[in-house]
Amino acid sequence: MTHPVNSQKDGAGLGFRLTLPAQILVLFIAVFPLLMQLYISLTDWSPLTGATWPQAWQFWNSFANYADLLTDDRLWAALGRTLFIMAVCVPVEFALGLALATLFVDDFPGKRIAYSILIMPMMVVPAVAGYMFFMLFQSGGPVNDILSWFTAEPVAIAWLSAPNLALVAVIAADIWQWTPLMFLILLAGLVGVPDDQLKAAALLGASPLQRFITIVLPRMKVIIIIALAIRSIEAFKIFDTLFIMTGGGPGVATETISIYIYKITTQDLIWGYVAAVALAILIVLSVAAIWAMKRMAR
Amino acid sequence: MQRPLSFVIFRALAILLALAITLVPILWMVSMAFKPFSEWQATGANLTWFPKKPTLDNFRFLFGNSGSDLIVALDRTAAKPILSSLLSATIGTLIAMTCGTASAYGLSRFGSGKNLPLALIQLRLFPPMAVMIPVMMMWAFLNLMDTWWGLSLIYGIVTLPFAFWLMKTFFDEMPKEIEEAALVEGCSRWRVFTRVTLPMMAAPLAAASLFVFILNWSDYLIALLLTTRDWVTIPVYMASLSSSMTGQLYGTKAALGLIAAVPPVILGIVIQKHLVRGLTFGALKQ
Repeated sequence: MTHPVNSQKDGAGLGFRLTLPAQILVLFIAVFPLLMQLYISLTDWSPLTGATWPQAWQFWNSFANYADLLTDDRLWAALGRTLFIMAVCVPVEFALGLALATLFVDDFPGKRIAYSILIMPMMVVPAVAGYMFFMLFQSGGPVNDILSWFTAEPVAIAWLSAPNLALVAVIAADIWQWTPLMFLILLAGLVGVPDDQLKAAALLGASPLQRFITIVLPRMKVIIIIALAIRSIEAFKIFDTLFIMTGGGPGVATETISIYIYKITTQDLIWGYVAAVALAILIVLSVAAIWAMKRMAR
Repeated sequence: MQRPLSFVIFRALAILLALAITLVPILWMVSMAFKPFSEWQATGANLTWFPKKPTLDNFRFLFGNSGSDLIVALDRTAAKPILSSLLSATIGTLIAMTCGTASAYGLSRFGSGKNLPLALIQLRLFPPMAVMIPVMMMWAFLNLMDTWWGLSLIYGIVTLPFAFWLMKTFFDEMPKEIEEAALVEGCSRWRVFTRVTLPMMAAPLAAASLFVFILNWSDYLIALLLTTRDWVTIPVYMASLSSSMTGQLYGTKAALGLIAAVPPVILGIVIQKHLVRGLTFGALKQ
């Protein structure tokens, strides 16, 4: 039997024990990998050297890897491409998601079924979605078929083997898969806007656009920030769909940061350098995240 | 609010268009999955929207029956990758949910582990690609490469943030009176947690588990790096289903894609009302 007097102390001990497994997992995945990453990023070590990674000090090159990455054109191009994909996908997904969400505020027949269908794409395994779009954009595939309805002659565009078109295809796949996420989050926000305020504003003669800007947007500010932040973070990581569709190609036309790191990890096997690149990305992202959180707090 | 007829018509057309765009890629894969070899083997030419002679050949072929008109046979069937996906996603979910639920309760009730919310968000912020080299080295060192338990462990870790945040918001919302009553009755804190709190949270626990399972099932990148042959998961196996000898096995891959896509889509519809909460780390409730 526990004494009531002891229950608070009992609680603190139990709280510690309950959080222990998660703490161990976080330490396991955060601390060790980061230290290892830092260590080998200061060397020329790779699995091809024949040495095991603790012996990587034999290939010490101080900060040469970090100097190299400043002049690595392929890295900067991949970063630029990643940011470009983000800059196109996130706003388009936001606009489409918001537009769709406004259509779903009122009830209409078939709303539940339409809703369930519209959110399906984001549940599809991303690698499978990548394969779907790989098939769609084949020269004999349905995209060209639909285009040929409008041009009245057969269209045989080789989407995935033309650099710019491959990028378009990849962006289309991302928009298809993630607009539903924006739709879902923004609709949850829109439904929370009180109806009576909107009605009052309408009676006072505010146009739909005015009502949207003065009543709906301010109430949805936090939700919009969360939606944009989540999508931006995920878009920066983009890998699965893109890798299945184009493998980063043709050439390096659709090579993003994640694909670049994957390729130099598995093909070039220059692990010391990869570690430096990866660590630099982690540091930049952490600084950006801290800056963003401080701004959010204000 | 009363809407003008023009708006109603516009809305209907816009939604129909959105539904069409949503469904075409999915239906195209379904159609490819049921086409016989002769209808998809051509190098992408003369494809029809619907199979002329629908067949289950692609599915049979995946499970080792080469009785179709395909010349090649697969060197391994889809059975093991499906088992691998199921097993690692399930155990990974168990790990994430156990650690996540326990720590969320510890923080929500006793204020322990105040560093966890931010640490776990950060874990989610980083591209997995940027920590994969040391993880691959650790997994090789611990002999976890290409094993179902190694894959389960990493899945448990990468989805821990979702499990933790989801359960934390559920615990924060739960009224504390019942727990307090049980404490007054003389139950220990641990007994209250296991006998009172957890049974009351059965529905949220189920929803969070399904959500985490979908995330684990959807992985491609991690399995691509941490499995090589014995325990490759469905997406990795699918990507390997093309070679210079066989070319793209369009129909076969579509059939496998369908097998991979169905469980999360169904589970997603089951937990529809918790999706917003899950995807926004509990920041938004629906």
